Amino acid sequence: MSFTDTRTGYHRPEAPTGRGWGTAARVGLWAFLAISALFFAIPLFVMLSTSLKTAEEVRGGSVFALPTDPSLAAWGKAWGSACIGRVCEGISNGLWNSVKILVPSTILSVAIAAINGYALSLWRVPYAGLLLAGLLLGAFIPFQVMIYPLVRMFAQVGIYGSLTGVVVVHVLFGLPILTLIFTNFYRSLPPELMKAARVDGAGFFRIFRRIVLPMSANVIIVAVILSFTGVWNDYLLALIFAGRDNLPMTVQLNSLVGTRIGLPEYNVNMAATLIAALPPLILYLISGQYFVRGVTAGAVKG
Amino acid sequence: MTRVSLQNIDRHYGALHALRDVSFEVEDGEFVVLLGPSGCGKSTLLSSIAGLDPLQGGQILFDDQDVSRLEPAQRNIGMVFQSYALYPSMKVRSNLSFGLESQRMSRAKIDERVGWAAQLLQIEPLLDRRPAALSGGQRQRVAIGRALVRDTDLFLFDEPLSNLDAKLRTEMRVEIKALHKRLGATFIYVTHDQVEAMTLATRIAVMNGGRLEQYDTPETVYERPASTFVASFIGAPPMNLLPARVVRGDGGAVAEVQGARLPIPSGIAAQVEGEVTLGVRCEALTVMPAGSGGPEAFTGSVVVTEPLGADTLVWVEVGEHRLCARIPPRDARSLPGEVALAPASGALSFFHPESGQRIPGEAEA
Repeated sequence: MSFTDTRTGYHRPEAPTGRGWGTAARVGLWAFLAISALFFAIPLFVMLSTSLKTAEEVRGGSVFALPTDPSLAAWGKAWGSACIGRVCEGISNGLWNSVKILVPSTILSVAIAAINGYALSLWRVPYAGLLLAGLLLGAFIPFQVMIYPLVRMFAQVGIYGSLTGVVVVHVLFGLPILTLIFTNFYRSLPPELMKAARVDGAGFFRIFRRIVLPMSANVIIVAVILSFTGVWNDYLLALIFAGRDNLPMTVQLNSLVGTRIGLPEYNVNMAATLIAALPPLILYLISGQYFVRGVTAGAVKG
Repeated sequence: MTRVSLQNIDRHYGALHALRDVSFEVEDGEFVVLLGPSGCGKSTLLSSIAGLDPLQGGQILFDDQDVSRLEPAQRNIGMVFQSYALYPSMKVRSNLSFGLESQRMSRAKIDERVGWAAQLLQIEPLLDRRPAALSGGQRQRVAIGRALVRDTDLFLFDEPLSNLDAKLRTEMRVEIKALHKRLGATFIYVTHDQVEAMTLATRIAVMNGGRLEQYDTPETVYERPASTFVASFIGAPPMNLLPARVVRGDGGAVAEVQGARLPIPSGIAAQVEGEVTLGVRCEALTVMPAGSGGPEAFTGSVVVTEPLGADTLVWVEVGEHRLCARIPPRDARSLPGEVALAPASGALSFFHPESGQRIPGEAEA
């Protein structure tokens, strides 16, 4: 039995179907998969169940015990009234800050990366190879080495410690890898399409808007997910560049967990962490199939 | 009306010399076919004419106006691509009107042009479909339609039929020829299929290795190939080519090959010495029983016969060479094992043994 992948057109050789495998090997395989699944699922389960318990219950029982009387009180406190330092407003404010950083960063970096990738792959750009090599380098250099110079530069321009500053940093650090993804994807488009559009008299942006963009849904979803995840999970850049008024959820979460007044409220911490993790999780659930499709389209055909 | 003049076109791709000093003229309303094996530069040349590929040497004139530096859109051409290159996200109607919208033509004029082209190509029922919902032949029509809507007299075709199945290809070939006749426009058409070239062209430009080998009418290219390359590339089967020795005698020069002595016309005899390559088409050889052909006939044994329907190909082994002859199927049934092959008078081509270039006779020079 074999089949041809309808999306990529590549013929896959026969996949191992288990025939000829020893039963022991199969048991081992299943055991490994089960253990791996548990390894990732148990912490999530502990967090969820702990967040539904009361503080007394957390201190009294085992971490694996189910909550006797599930309640969302910890979630409510984490959201609106938990104390971070001396301010007791929960992490809702941080969530809002995260969104304010996330939305412009993602839109800008994906839009610029799409245009960059389109220009680099479908138009004759002088030294395009060199530019791509530079991008590749940019994508793999640890960004920590650039932080101090960037702080100085941003301070000079006057956007250090502001929403603008942190958005600019996110766009800058997101561009190399996103541009590479778009470049790879657009390289797989038939070149005759571009020629036809040029004969038809369409210019750079008209071809992009009318022909290339409508074909880019999958790769845009991939880019949005990558950018979303990167920006949402970022801690260091926001801590340094955002300024005290714009600290995102990740930074506030850390402050919340680190605040030591009285006994640590594990249930509140767990609830806050789950709230912080929810948006990317929801995004994955919604767009998972496109993500896989887009990744393979870019990777295999590119 | 558009005349196209190519002057000393040159193009390199890195180390590859894709076009070497190509020059020829295309007259108003001509149907010129660029023909050659893959990698011969024919598509590159078409791209240069379209302006999709910058030139590195030479210039291109449309009606005496130098367009070498113009963008494809400014050259005002219609172009059909091998893969059709229809815009996948647009309906057929938008595919047709996209170029006109780019030219900022008025809506009414656009609808008129699109309607005209759709009617001409009988694609009106398809106008509201997307390319993915069309068959290969329908996509081909839409691709031609997209070229036609442009108000132009120069159309370029880049192997437009090679993605179609054999039956559809024959149909579309006839339609393209009818279209050319109806529009009276200039067509430049790239193909590697010599049947397309022979049937469609008013003139064929045969290309090889980036060079123009011959540029002439289909009849001339077939009957009087300019080189051994053209002789063996055009025609199925290709022209019979035989190395011969030039022997001068009392009655003028003769070419001696495999026991046959073929007289060399005096105009050619003056230009040859020692060796010469003889060329003769399959249908110019008459098959006779062995021994009856006289001194001008080759003698050999029949290897195989291939019935093609209308006629039959006979393959005869003459010495170490295998020659083909085209005979009526009736004659093939009673063919003896040994035969003589007599070339028709005046049907011989002579080529330089080294360069492969044709040695022109008096009538041609």
